[in-house]
Amino acid sequence: MYREIFNITLLQNTIRTATPLILAALGGLLTSHTGILNIGMEGMILLGAFFGVAGSYFFESYLMGILFAVTSGIIIGIVFALFVIKLKSDEFIVGIAINMFAGGLTMFLLRSIFGVKGAFSSPRIQPLPDINIAFIDKIPILNVLLNNHSLFVYISWILVIAIYIFLYKTPYGLWFRAAGEFPEALDTVGISSDKIKFASSILCGILCGFAGVHLSLGYLTLFTENMSANRGFIALAAIIFGSANPLMTYVAALIFGFFDALGIRLQGVGIPSQFTQMFPYIVTVLVLIAVVKRERDKKALQAKAGRIDKSQSQAAGNLTR
Amino acid sequence: MQESIIKLVGISKVFPGVVANDNINLEIRRGEIHAIVGENGAGKSTLMKIIYGLYQPTAGEIYINGRLMNVANPQIAIKNGIGMVHQHFMLVPSFTAAENVVLGSEPRKNTVFMDFEEAVIITKALSEKYGLYVDPYQKVEDLSVGIQQRIEILKVLYRGADILILDEPTAVLTPQETQELFAIMRRLVKDMGKTIIIITHKLQEVLEVSHRVSVMRRGKLVGTMDTKDATEQILAEMMVGKEVVFDKFHANQNKGKTLMEVKNLVVRDNRGFIAVDGISFSVAAGEILGVAGVEGNGQTELVEALTGLRKVEEGSILVNGKDMANRSPSEFRKMGISHIPEDRLKTGLAPEASVNENLLMGYQHKKPYESFGMKLNKKAIYQKTAQLIKQFDIRTPSGQTKVKSLSGGNMQKLVVAREFSFNSPILIISQPTRGLDIGAIEFIHRQIIEMRDAGRAILLISADLDEIFRLSDRIVTIYEGKLTGEFMTADVTKQAIGLYMTGKNLSTAG
Amino acid sequence: MKKIKLSQDLEYIFSLALSIVLALIIGALIILANGKSPLTAYASLINGSLGSPYKMATTLAKTVPLILTGLATAVAFSSGIFNIGGEGQLYLGAFAAAYVGFTFTNLPGLIGIPLALIFAALAGGFYALIPALLKVKYGIDEVITTIMFNSIAILFTGYLANYPFASSVGKMGATEMIAPAYKLLRLVARSKLHTGIFFTAVIALAIYYLMEKTSVGYDFKMIGTNLIFAKYGGINAERNMVIAMIISGVLCGIAGAFEVLGNHYRFLQAISPGYAFDGMLVSLIVKNKVVGVILMSIFFGILKTGSIAMEFETAIPSELVLVIQAIIILFIAGEKGFAQILRRIHAKEGVRGDV
Repeated sequence: MYREIFNITLLQNTIRTATPLILAALGGLLTSHTGILNIGMEGMILLGAFFGVAGSYFFESYLMGILFAVTSGIIIGIVFALFVIKLKSDEFIVGIAINMFAGGLTMFLLRSIFGVKGAFSSPRIQPLPDINIAFIDKIPILNVLLNNHSLFVYISWILVIAIYIFLYKTPYGLWFRAAGEFPEALDTVGISSDKIKFASSILCGILCGFAGVHLSLGYLTLFTENMSANRGFIALAAIIFGSANPLMTYVAALIFGFFDALGIRLQGVGIPSQFTQMFPYIVTVLVLIAVVKRERDKKALQAKAGRIDKSQSQAAGNLTR
Repeated sequence: MQESIIKLVGISKVFPGVVANDNINLEIRRGEIHAIVGENGAGKSTLMKIIYGLYQPTAGEIYINGRLMNVANPQIAIKNGIGMVHQHFMLVPSFTAAENVVLGSEPRKNTVFMDFEEAVIITKALSEKYGLYVDPYQKVEDLSVGIQQRIEILKVLYRGADILILDEPTAVLTPQETQELFAIMRRLVKDMGKTIIIITHKLQEVLEVSHRVSVMRRGKLVGTMDTKDATEQILAEMMVGKEVVFDKFHANQNKGKTLMEVKNLVVRDNRGFIAVDGISFSVAAGEILGVAGVEGNGQTELVEALTGLRKVEEGSILVNGKDMANRSPSEFRKMGISHIPEDRLKTGLAPEASVNENLLMGYQHKKPYESFGMKLNKKAIYQKTAQLIKQFDIRTPSGQTKVKSLSGGNMQKLVVAREFSFNSPILIISQPTRGLDIGAIEFIHRQIIEMRDAGRAILLISADLDEIFRLSDRIVTIYEGKLTGEFMTADVTKQAIGLYMTGKNLSTAG
Repeated sequence: MKKIKLSQDLEYIFSLALSIVLALIIGALIILANGKSPLTAYASLINGSLGSPYKMATTLAKTVPLILTGLATAVAFSSGIFNIGGEGQLYLGAFAAAYVGFTFTNLPGLIGIPLALIFAALAGGFYALIPALLKVKYGIDEVITTIMFNSIAILFTGYLANYPFASSVGKMGATEMIAPAYKLLRLVARSKLHTGIFFTAVIALAIYYLMEKTSVGYDFKMIGTNLIFAKYGGINAERNMVIAMIISGVLCGIAGAFEVLGNHYRFLQAISPGYAFDGMLVSLIVKNKVVGVILMSIFFGILKTGSIAMEFETAIPSELVLVIQAIIILFIAGEKGFAQILRRIHAKEGVRGDV
């Protein structure tokens, strides 16, 4: 039994389950860098999942599915930004409203367009393609692990790197981080922090759209009610776990994905999956506690060195004379 | 020196209900340090924000280098060589000095990537060129206020500013740092050919550093003159409109026993630095002890420690012989200490709550306002609040009005009314008249004197030396968290106190 | 403290009404796009929720969990502590009540029902206490911890209902039925309205009294409106926030208990379709005012019940009301911003500019 559970496919499944998490989390970490806590990711994913299926169904093309999902992401990102940034509404209320809106709208459309309740699948829905990388084919373990995944698995890897570079190696990343930490600093040098926040919201919408379309066209090939299944909140947990750093957040997503995949297998052999499912949430709370403790220690240390620091900076000041 | 670099013609700015700038004509000449002085709310900052493109004027024209300009946003101002050093620094704390200097106009490689090395080189070069030393690699959050200001100035210079606007640059600086800043300003003008506009309300500084000075009052430009023709007296008269000589109050006659005694108090600020460094003093019934000092020398932390709002590191606060260090604010209140805080909107009031609710604070658990341990008695409460509103002349449509819609003077009267109404033997009063008009100042000063004459022990903290001199019986000076001197008001001059406030006691200054 | 405030309140009520009307108009457009008549749809919605004593009872039954979780939100939020964990507290409360109900089967209802409610209240209150302590002791953002705690509680009770306490017969993910003595009396034939509504009314009155007429409520509200001011004024903010959070958790726990004792008669692993989130939104819409929570809960109850009838009669999916509710919330959340923009356009009123 042990072998059945802990094998290479478990790791492969880990990558699969981590993918929607990291896609959404990348979006959420962009807004969190610009100073917005986005609780609406859950709803944004759900909309992406629905419109992905709708696009793929009507045009019998997964590309149209992606296009639909991205469009829905852009629109909901704009709505979110409009309320949070332009109308200065509470980001947390708007996030919850978006979740409710997405839940209601997708169920409503599911029934009024497709005339079904609960779930919708059809042979007309074109799934996202799996990607086969020829040269990995011959490498035994890596082949199982890294090859023949759905399209967005690879896109997510590229995005993790791209967003890391974007945030820490480009001026735009500097603006994103400045917009969150001290927006006035940006405004007074002639760059509108609101525009940066707006951009981050839209990007978050698009990335959640990716996460959604991956769920409904890559992970599965159907849409079910509430199929985002709390992933928006787990993504939030991953962002916190990874301190909003894309690489660390991906590690968090992989760990969470591992426990999710493990849980599904354990359930298969009659072991409750609830505890493995709880893992991301418990770990997030523990991480928060650890972060606070670390910061306290750091502060205490700084305070001890306080006298010295101040006199040093003054000594530096004296050099100007 | 005579060529005009900025010319404002008929500039007006109207906010809903307020005329902030009223038909202002002003000329700034190339290569001068031009001071703009005025009281709080005179419209100085608004005018500067118009020049910098943060506000659009309601009427009027701006000429830069002789050309009519529409400064629609800061970017246009920056392009035309105008830079602004804001009163509150516009720096990102977790970024390095270099990143802050180049933010918004970053050096790039391969068009999309940020060139961090180049940013450091730029910062170093600027540092050396202008003699503004900073370590490009250090994070701003770890730097002192004086250094942060240098980064702000470097930021502006990096953008190629020829005209620097400094908004109250000395408000947060120590006297030493102020002198350094002035040296930098002189060098920028003399050696580098820059033009500087400095906004301030400290007349001493104007006389020290500027070539010309303009005075603003209530949104109008009262006049511009060469600094060499100006004196403090002349400028003060222009600022307030008439010669203001407050009547002196008679000194106290019957000082009672000591009510509060502070011994070797050590307190840290928010960043963990020592802010109050071994302070000792005592206050007796029937006297006002004034604490004079430049803002930011530990006054805020001292007051917070004395009211239970901040942790005490070392030392004791004896009230009636009981050590109150590190007790809760409610225990301080129970021991008979009332507190008028320096920031009324942040600490002293709940702006979103009603006048009545704000007056109730501190009474809500006392009889007859509360019964059965929790029931509030509306009738008793309304009687009390109505009486306070009347007694302290709080101008409000009603007790139900939200405090945020009152004027600053009436807000402060509300705080004073509540805190004085407890009949506490000890009153800790911080910046009681900041930003208020003369009528309100006079009213509040009289209330404070009345309290003293009723035998209260009063600790008065103020950055306004005139206020300290007018009210205090005894004065201590504070500098860098230490008390540098103690005087009977009658025996000392403002000049002498001014010296002690800047850390130079007579032995070193003389 | 009512008379003058009325004008500000009236302004708010006006914008609330406007938001609702706008949301209903958007709903009407969606109905039109579905090729149906909005008038018939809305008529059947009203008729289906208020058209007969039975329908009214059904509507009222729907309001019970909304009022309780709405009040829970109102108490916490107006005290400056943001309890998003109502759903988790509700699940634990529900399970606790069910546990009492299927374990102490010999107790008479008069003892058993209060006991079940007490267990539920304790479970909910305790579960709210943890994030509250994390906030006041360590400064950990309670918004995030309570969100995480929701999932933990739902999964944990799901485990309990599937494994150690799984029903021996029938349903998956359900516990045994509670003993008959625990079942709350149904008030109107065939409807689910139970005696819990009276208890809810008593709780609502108590919370109203607490928030509006006592020094405790005053302390809560001062902490919520300006924490620094409250501390400066001598209020023990930490203790009061913890108390407010416990009250909030207790109310959610009781909401869960009523779902078991009055509605399902057992614990189910998906016993709440997000009642606590609905309740939170109800409270947010009315700015955490007790009277508002009750009125808005009834309005939401009407929408929920009526939407089923609307679907039955006009074939418009009942989920439409979720969309309408979300739009109302968005408009209300944007109310201040809308007002500011309108004011800027008119630019005549006396708002002080930053000089």
